[in-house]
Amino acid sequence: MTTANDVLAALQSAFPGVIEESKVGPERQLWATIKPDRIVDVCKYLRDNHGFDHYSGAVGVDRINEGLFEVTEMLASHGSHQVVALLKVKTKRESPSVKSLTGLYWNANWYEREIWEMLGINFEGHPELYPLLLADELVGVWPWRKDFLGYPDYTTADRAIEKVNAEGYTDYSFRPTEAEIKAGTVPVERPKYPTFREREEMEIKGSSEMILHMGPQHAVVPGPFLLDLLVDGERVKKAFLDVGYIHKGIEKIMENRTYQQGIPITDRLCYMAAITNNEAYCGAVERLLGIEAPERAQYIRMILQELSRIQSHLLGTGEFLTLIASAVYSPFLYMIIDREDVLTCIESVTGARINHSFVRFGGVRNDLPEGFKDMTLDTLKMIREKTAEYKDLFSSDSIYQKRMAGIGTLSPQDARRLGVSGPPLRASDTPYDMRREDPYLLYRDMDFEVITRKEGDSKARVEVRLDEILESCYIIEQCLDQIPNGPIMAEGVPKKIKPEPGEAYYRVEDHRGEMGFFVVSDGSDKPVKVKARGPVYAYFQALPPLLEGVYIADVVAIAGSMDACTSEVDR
Amino acid sequence: MVLSAITEFAAQEPKIYALIIGLIAAAILASVINVVAMLLVWLERKVMGDFQARYGPNRVGGRWGVLQLGADAIKLFTKEDVIPRGADKPVFVWAPIVAVATTMLVAGALPFGAVIIDGREIPLVVANMDISAFYIEAALSIMAISAFMAGWSSNNKYSMLGAFRGIARMIAYEVPMGVCVISVAIMAHSLNVVEIVQAQQGIWFALAQPIGFVIFGIALITDLGRMPFDQTEAEEEIIAGYNTEYSGIRFGLLYFQEYIVMLLGSILLVHLYLGGWNGPVIPVISFISPMIWFFMKLVIVLVALIWIRVSLPRFRIDQVTDLGWKILLPLSMVNLGWAVAVGLYFA
Repeated sequence: MTTANDVLAALQSAFPGVIEESKVGPERQLWATIKPDRIVDVCKYLRDNHGFDHYSGAVGVDRINEGLFEVTEMLASHGSHQVVALLKVKTKRESPSVKSLTGLYWNANWYEREIWEMLGINFEGHPELYPLLLADELVGVWPWRKDFLGYPDYTTADRAIEKVNAEGYTDYSFRPTEAEIKAGTVPVERPKYPTFREREEMEIKGSSEMILHMGPQHAVVPGPFLLDLLVDGERVKKAFLDVGYIHKGIEKIMENRTYQQGIPITDRLCYMAAITNNEAYCGAVERLLGIEAPERAQYIRMILQELSRIQSHLLGTGEFLTLIASAVYSPFLYMIIDREDVLTCIESVTGARINHSFVRFGGVRNDLPEGFKDMTLDTLKMIREKTAEYKDLFSSDSIYQKRMAGIGTLSPQDARRLGVSGPPLRASDTPYDMRREDPYLLYRDMDFEVITRKEGDSKARVEVRLDEILESCYIIEQCLDQIPNGPIMAEGVPKKIKPEPGEAYYRVEDHRGEMGFFVVSDGSDKPVKVKARGPVYAYFQALPPLLEGVYIADVVAIAGSMDACTSEVDR
Repeated sequence: MVLSAITEFAAQEPKIYALIIGLIAAAILASVINVVAMLLVWLERKVMGDFQARYGPNRVGGRWGVLQLGADAIKLFTKEDVIPRGADKPVFVWAPIVAVATTMLVAGALPFGAVIIDGREIPLVVANMDISAFYIEAALSIMAISAFMAGWSSNNKYSMLGAFRGIARMIAYEVPMGVCVISVAIMAHSLNVVEIVQAQQGIWFALAQPIGFVIFGIALITDLGRMPFDQTEAEEEIIAGYNTEYSGIRFGLLYFQEYIVMLLGSILLVHLYLGGWNGPVIPVISFISPMIWFFMKLVIVLVALIWIRVSLPRFRIDQVTDLGWKILLPLSMVNLGWAVAVGLYFA
């Protein structure tokens, strides 16, 4: 078994003098600071020789006191070992520039683009540095920088310039202030995302082609995002994805709140996964604080996360079914009804059905109520029966089989390359599950199977979800049997939380895949930087290549099978 | 005295008399069809609710929500009538009218049951044509034209895709449907719907031609544009298809037309395959006993259509045309051969 120390030793012998600082953290994490000009070589070496084939994301941190920006690349492996490498690169604040990893990892694209538009760090060799989440006008404002003072000017629209364009619609634009021009924070030429008309001119070749909008307002989308399809008749030739319509700046908001105030905000990342988001954030802060929740609290967290997984998979599957059928498709409503019972179980503990804000640093808020075990076991029995029924229904429905089999097929290699995680990755024959790969809480003691499928198509993705519901039922039953008595909060957790300066990364298996929180502390009561690495962000990035050459009707069958949540993408 | 005046007038001016009688019949027909179709919308929402463990309309007009449709109609009538800037205005305006008018063409030739007076069976039909089965079949196809008018004139990409899908689907399914009607006509020795019904006094054609019944049923659902064949207005793909740009009462007409067609199509299915109003005479109310049988069969067909809608996913457009051309058309030819063989044997 490869350990973090092995990887570090190999790196030090292969690249003498390149590693400036290094630390082997808890839970098989390798932290290292790499010389900026060698980062690509180091990553290439790790990818080719040590199986680091999973690019998990990148975090940009503004170290304003040191006059530096830090970019942390997070690398992991799809199953060959369990080490997570967090490689830091530092760059000067005056002319920030880092080498791009897009040549090595396809999915580095969006993570680097986001850091560029938010922090203004240039990525050398990046193919398309234009805004991803922000509006074009806000590029050059660099809102994640610590010296950014907020943009009252931009929100009151005092300075917005109205201009009626050739088609009769009104465009708004912002002129940079004189101070901005003087400080040089606004680039003279702002890179722009191509407008719809520009894209039409660029892409349309023949008279039978057109660009079709799906979104931001469309029956198919679970939240606002724009999917432009270049279609030739009924066939999609190319897809363009644009996100950022509900960018809320959650990460920046959390920098301006105390640690505790961050918890309810993590709920809002995605309401379907409130508990796992809480868990990921609290787990990261617990690592910073060096505390651990008592055993009973860990069991309660596991029970609730698995219940939450059941309800999320039920709604995700049901919602998806309405996309290939219609809004009046009955199984959708049956799943909603089942889900209500699961939500009632969750509500009896947390007091809320959707946004729980339940997990605390070093424990949980409430203990399990009386009668919880019986109620949950009854619900689980019902869920098992119903899930078996759904599986039976789908396997016997020939129209369903025709629509779903062989649609949006991801080969194992492609799935890994595109960086998807969770059910879509497992449906492509890759048993990658954080509960096994990076065991958190007490999952290492649990007996459960990581569900995989060989096919990698939309049908397999739904099957994985339905089977995972059964696995979750099994985990909850084990938890309910084994749960010990005891406290639900760790002792000695201060009221006012001020972790020691440092960083922590903690990832959990969200219902949709790998959810990680990267928290940086400087010793004050507010985090310096919180980064949420969500699974849906990765799916969305992988969507356009999947949609090439399919029918319009298959677009919804593929996009829907990913179980997307726009809110989490935009944050 | 009034009666004698009328008979006198009829004797003097037979043409004008026929015209007036025809107009009155048409007015009665139009209002009855519309009211029944409204009830059908209510029925669908209620039955659908039952299938999905919910109530359906239950506020307007008491516990059963019977007046829900009135409320919806008032809403549609009072909404702003929007015609998009780039639309082809005359076509856009006429499309819903053509859609509803064609349904009346069908309704005119379709018998709505029968009554027994003095032991004689009198079918309730406005125009009892010799080729009514063929005529109805042809008039049903005009529906696709109105959908195409709506989709093309809207100047909208979703509408256009919906209209194209509608035409592709119509061509693929009209052929097997027509062959099925021919098979029925061969067995009944007539293209007149009334005579086709009377020919089923011995055995229903659904039993004599099971393949034809299934093909006709599938093709009919396609013609009605209902699940699993509602690709023309697949809301998850192309918003609302050909009626995306419609609003207010124009949308109301297009929406309502679908239910009228559903009603008429079901009646046609009952007549061609399920023996129409044939059934044992119920003693005390023998006068309307054919009507009772007819309505029972009709309601069963309608509920079956609703059942199919809530329980099946949608086909993709290429799968739909594949099914039509590659499976249903050859099968309908087999059915035609069967009908000819059996028809010769029993003739």
